[in-house]
Amino acid sequence: MALGAPILTLTQVKTVNLIRQWINSFPDVQKDAILQAFESASLPKIRRALRLLEELGQEQRGPGLDVELLSTYNLEPLLPVLSLAMNCLPSRACPRLAPLDSIETHMAQPARSHAQGVFGARMIIWRIEEVLPEALYPFSHGFPKRLAASVDQLLDRIERVVTLHRRNSPGTPLFLSTMPLPLNLANPVAAAQHCAGPYASVSRVNQKIYEVAGRGVGVHVLDLASWAAFEGETYADAMVDFLARQPLSAKGQVSFALFIARCLRPLIVPRRKVLALDLDNTLWGGVVGEDGVNGLKLGHEFPGNVHLRIQRELLELRHRGVLLVLLSKNNEADARQPFESLLGMILKWTDFAVRKINWNHKHENLREAARELGLGLDSFAFLDDSDYEREQMRQVMPEVLILNHSSDPLQTLRALWETDAFDSLVVTEEDRGRHRDYTFREAREVEGHKDDLEVFLKSLEMEAAMEEVGPSNVERVVTMLGKTNQFNLTTHRHSRGHVETMLASPGSIALALRLRDKFGDQGIIAVLLAVRGDNAATLVIDSFLVSCRALGRGVEDALWAAMLRRALRQDVQRIEAAYIPTAKNSIVAGLYDRLGLRRIGHNSGSTCYLLEPVTFVESPPWIALMNENQ
Amino acid sequence: MNNNDPLLDLLLEFFDLPADTRPEDIRQQLVPSWDSLAMVQLITELERKFVVNFDIDAIQRLRSYDEIRDALVGEPSP
Repeated sequence: MALGAPILTLTQVKTVNLIRQWINSFPDVQKDAILQAFESASLPKIRRALRLLEELGQEQRGPGLDVELLSTYNLEPLLPVLSLAMNCLPSRACPRLAPLDSIETHMAQPARSHAQGVFGARMIIWRIEEVLPEALYPFSHGFPKRLAASVDQLLDRIERVVTLHRRNSPGTPLFLSTMPLPLNLANPVAAAQHCAGPYASVSRVNQKIYEVAGRGVGVHVLDLASWAAFEGETYADAMVDFLARQPLSAKGQVSFALFIARCLRPLIVPRRKVLALDLDNTLWGGVVGEDGVNGLKLGHEFPGNVHLRIQRELLELRHRGVLLVLLSKNNEADARQPFESLLGMILKWTDFAVRKINWNHKHENLREAARELGLGLDSFAFLDDSDYEREQMRQVMPEVLILNHSSDPLQTLRALWETDAFDSLVVTEEDRGRHRDYTFREAREVEGHKDDLEVFLKSLEMEAAMEEVGPSNVERVVTMLGKTNQFNLTTHRHSRGHVETMLASPGSIALALRLRDKFGDQGIIAVLLAVRGDNAATLVIDSFLVSCRALGRGVEDALWAAMLRRALRQDVQRIEAAYIPTAKNSIVAGLYDRLGLRRIGHNSGSTCYLLEPVTFVESPPWIALMNENQ
Repeated sequence: MNNNDPLLDLLLEFFDLPADTRPEDIRQQLVPSWDSLAMVQLITELERKFVVNFDIDAIQRLRSYDEIRDALVGEPSP
């Protein structure tokens, strides 16, 4: 008998490399067991890795993750590998299977509600073989008209499923899988020849799924069609499919599970906000200080085309809301020259939110950039062609994610293609405007030196609109709860479902502050959530946070005043609040003291405050309130 | 682990059986955890480990150590 381990597909190798980063904080025993499990695809090894993970403490394993899987094919044999992949996010994942073929029946029930700190998700995994079997035999099913009508019915079904979910489980993110092309289809040449043929029918169905998710209502795409295309037909095993209605090969199972885990990860792990990078041999080939602008390689010929593509990727990141920071050991005049005169440059000097061009250590410059942006080091990823610089950064600042692992520009480009550091399920308007916001902030800070603080703040012409948290802004509020570290009194990372439960509780006050200033609309930059305590006359502040983009302007005072106004209208007699210290939120350690609350004790490391009686305070005079009855 | 018999090692590990289990005792009737779900997972495991693809006839006969061994070496059980 022959013996051999399967060779992982390229997609799997890339994903296993990502897993190494996800589980970096695990002890070596668990790390080794997990990597062996995925590399071998062996079920006993997967079970062993799961057992070893059970031995870790809750804090090491990450937040709870409750994933409900609704499928038209049999996922039960895959539960161990799915569970392992999700546990590597890291999370205390608990995938649950609904009965086979019971999507609508199951969705008529509300999804399970989750305790604070536990994330929930529901996934519908379906394929054309079960939901549109007519497409496999078009000429037996009235091709083209009747088949097209069957597709129409399936499109209606997709709408109904989403409506059911939104009606019964609005707070739980829903992932709809797209459908891979059927692998086992006779006459694939003919299948592609008509707009009502099998391939076009699958395409219509998937188009519908993309369209439904694009509406931005908590529905996301689990793009198994793209996954299958990347994997190729090695993901499937027709024999096991016939035997157990489980279509995946051993290799396919690992890849499938890791793909699903990666799609879930943005729910619980915030993306990196900043990419700090080098200039020479990254944005262009060559060293500007030595080769001069004319000696640099950039353009449509090899190898300049690799650097051109790197620049395109970086510009796309910037437009998606990732801030670019330039860290270069150069003379600034030399570094600027290519931006002014090198033909083919895609990136502009102003595309970088912060530029540190000097001869200091890069880690020192990165720390300085972090301070200027008001972000923690764990918000940063780093790209550099120098082995020395990467190693020094790794040793001095382990929180910074090193994206590339060699000096080869193509490897740098691959690192940008393959990293999950910037993965997100939603790119909001705030994300798209982030670079502009930070650039304005820089301008504001320069202006700020001109006069005293209040005169400066007045000059910003700030207008604040208080929005009740609701369907139109809850996505942004949940994003802020998940991402805001510094100005955050409690750092409660609530899921959308948890926030919606709070909104539904009687007497709750949930406010989002939208700020506009003379530089433009800054979007929602502060949130306050409060619920009634045991006594109906008591209001408990659950979350109070301000985006780091808006610190130092007094928006927290405006938001606090707006909350007090509502509380007084509702006859609230006392307000309880707490400051829960973290490694990053010392900036707000004294906030409640400043707002006039009284310290009443300590509880598990947090400081408890009380405001009684509740009295109104004025909003800062330099912020105009747009929709508040004074 | 019995390095001379990778199939035995695989089955002991897969079904979590004591190391001194005799091959002739590894039969579906005698191993409680050998249900239909385990059967599907076992086939995937065998195909992965031994780089084989079983045909329909072979799959219907994978009910014991002996039958699996025969299927792997291509000899039908009597």
